[in-house]
Amino acid sequence: MWENALSFFDFDDTNVIYVSLGTIILGAGAAVVGSFTFFRKKALIGDAIAHAILPGVCLAFILSGTKNYFLLISGAFFTGWLSIIAVDYIVKKSKIKEDTAIGLILSVFFGVGIMLLTYIQQSGNAAQTGLDSFLFGKAASMLAQDVIVFSAISIILVFMILLFYKELKLITYDKDFAQSIGLPVKWIEFLLSSLTVLAVVTGIQAVGVVLMAALLITPTAAAKYWSGSLSVILILAAIIGGFSGVSGAFISYIAPNMPTGPWVVMVLSLFAIFSILFAPKKGYFSRLLQQLKNRKQIQDENILKAFHQIAEAEDNFGEAKSLEKLREKRYYTTRLMKRILLRLKRQGYLRRTKEGFFLSDYGQRKAARLVKLHRLWELYLTEYLRIAPDHVHEDADTIEHIITPELEKRLEEKLGYPEVDPHNSKIPYD
Amino acid sequence: MIKQVENPIIEIHDLSVAYERKPVLWDVDLSLPEGQLIGIIGPNGAGKSTLLKAIMGLLPLNSGYIQINGKPLEEMRHKISYVPQRESVDWDFPTSVYEVVMMGRYGQLGLFNRPKKADAEIVMDSLRKVGMDEFKNRQISQLSGGQQQRVFLARALAQQADIYFMDEPFAGVDAATEKAIIKLLGEMSAQNKTVIVVHHDLQSVAKYFDWIILLNMRLVASGPINEAFTPELLQETYGGKLTLLTEISDLIQKHRFPNRE
Ligand SMILES: Nc1ncnc2c1ncn2[C@@H]1O[C@H](COP(=O)(O)OP(=O)(O)O)[C@@H](O)[C@H]1O
Ligand SMILES: [Mg+2]
Repeated sequence: MWENALSFFDFDDTNVIYVSLGTIILGAGAAVVGSFTFFRKKALIGDAIAHAILPGVCLAFILSGTKNYFLLISGAFFTGWLSIIAVDYIVKKSKIKEDTAIGLILSVFFGVGIMLLTYIQQSGNAAQTGLDSFLFGKAASMLAQDVIVFSAISIILVFMILLFYKELKLITYDKDFAQSIGLPVKWIEFLLSSLTVLAVVTGIQAVGVVLMAALLITPTAAAKYWSGSLSVILILAAIIGGFSGVSGAFISYIAPNMPTGPWVVMVLSLFAIFSILFAPKKGYFSRLLQQLKNRKQIQDENILKAFHQIAEAEDNFGEAKSLEKLREKRYYTTRLMKRILLRLKRQGYLRRTKEGFFLSDYGQRKAARLVKLHRLWELYLTEYLRIAPDHVHEDADTIEHIITPELEKRLEEKLGYPEVDPHNSKIPYD
Repeated sequence: MIKQVENPIIEIHDLSVAYERKPVLWDVDLSLPEGQLIGIIGPNGAGKSTLLKAIMGLLPLNSGYIQINGKPLEEMRHKISYVPQRESVDWDFPTSVYEVVMMGRYGQLGLFNRPKKADAEIVMDSLRKVGMDEFKNRQISQLSGGQQQRVFLARALAQQADIYFMDEPFAGVDAATEKAIIKLLGEMSAQNKTVIVVHHDLQSVAKYFDWIILLNMRLVASGPINEAFTPELLQETYGGKLTLLTEISDLIQKHRFPNRE
């Protein structure tokens, strides 16, 4: 097995080079075309096409008796397209929803396909070997000339996408507008469907029927975590698709009995999981970190407010405030409270003497602002939204942490710099 | 009260539209004057959006035809701009404010051509007019409702059309945006552009429009604001008189009658 792995990287076997390049191109092509099905929210249609291709391939084989790729692709293209038309027709002419229609068509076509495949296998036609790689994919079994044919198709796909990029983007984002400016929407949709069918026909070499939808959709699902620009997402998806494709070919070499498809999809899924977890901004951990930061900010600001409230009640802003008094205002555990106090001291909001913590000038201004925002918002809620004064506190407690200086200014102006809040507490201005 | 005009910029003749056999517009017949700010008013589900889509050729017609400046739509498309309802698109689509507004230039550009410098200037100009130039690189998913509507408006401006159809440009926008938009629409009609706006806040109708179309599955009125904006006509548009029409619509759909012989 490991000799195989090494010889893969030696590239001494020219077929290895062909297959590696071929699977990169196949994976990238499928990913780029799949991006548009993804953003048009038609992820499932790829699945229908992939399954619908099987009867076409088998029929072409039965009728011709040979494994002529041109005929097989034509057969696949024919039934693939037929499935799209059938789904559209069912959705239009009946009350059946699109996902149900896709499920229906998918199983009917695939059922017929399996039937035909069984028939071929039992007929014992010698040329049949390799047909079942359509089911699970087997990149390494491709011959140089197959690779050339399929790569050429993939390159044409990508070229067509580039050529019609502007139009494809527009019909994906806003179809009605596209039609309103006189774009031949029907024609472009026909083109995209044809490209999708072709992408499926070629991609099946790498992953097989069952997992083809993943090769179309997953690269984009992963890529969209890293960018907000369609063109960048397309490039990233192509890289992810290409890399996953070639990794499938590699597996085919080191373990010739292993079906390629599941491995390609494994690699794809790793990309997706990695993106979902670790992408900056949109990823899970990045969001978690943001939440953590928000929580700390809220804790900090709550304690600053508590300082202000106590000082206000005692009419004494200079003196240190005891932990007990603070905890009367905010029921944080002593440990958490100490952490927060030290954090605030580090940030310069608090000073410490042997009597305890007290607000620095800087901290006093910040605390006063928070109290002001809280009370302004309470006033806004009661005056403009007519909410009862005893219901506004909780709302204000969250809002005060989010209000930006611009909003603060507008709030002040709108309310006319009021003296007191709905509970008759003084609003502090600086 | 249906007032027909001489030399209309838009003429709709005996228009009927149905969705899967359920008729939603019956025999709409009207003509509109050039250079005015025109409101289409009617309750929810009255067929206001359907009327705009039918005019833009986005729906198959059951009967009737539409002429723009005396010519069929296809010859006039480059002079017409359509602003769909804001909710009709996916605002999570990965693209920027600038790119969306650039889509307004696609009609002029034609297939295969890339935007040129002049297009970029028009786009920036349009963004400035709606006060969104600072947001040009912003992801559209990060915009507020009012900003989304401004972007749609900028895209329409970038089309440099003579006739504008806008579906609910004031829906869900803040007061500042509404003010800015109506000011802009006023300026456009002052430049002899025809602006047709679906609107459903009755309070502001009289203040905003020169001409109104009252619609509820059928045309109730079309005329200058002081003639068509009357309590009786509003009662006819919003009142319960149309239940019969609704029932017949449902019957036609259920029994699969042809809408036309
Ligand atoms: N795509 C559609 N398929 C079926 N019925 C539709 C479709 N779009 C709108 N309708 C129906 O047509 C009627 C008119 O809708 P619409 O033109 O959107 O009204 P409005 O814009 O005045 O609120 C409504 O009853 C609505 O349910
Ligand atoms: Mg509508």
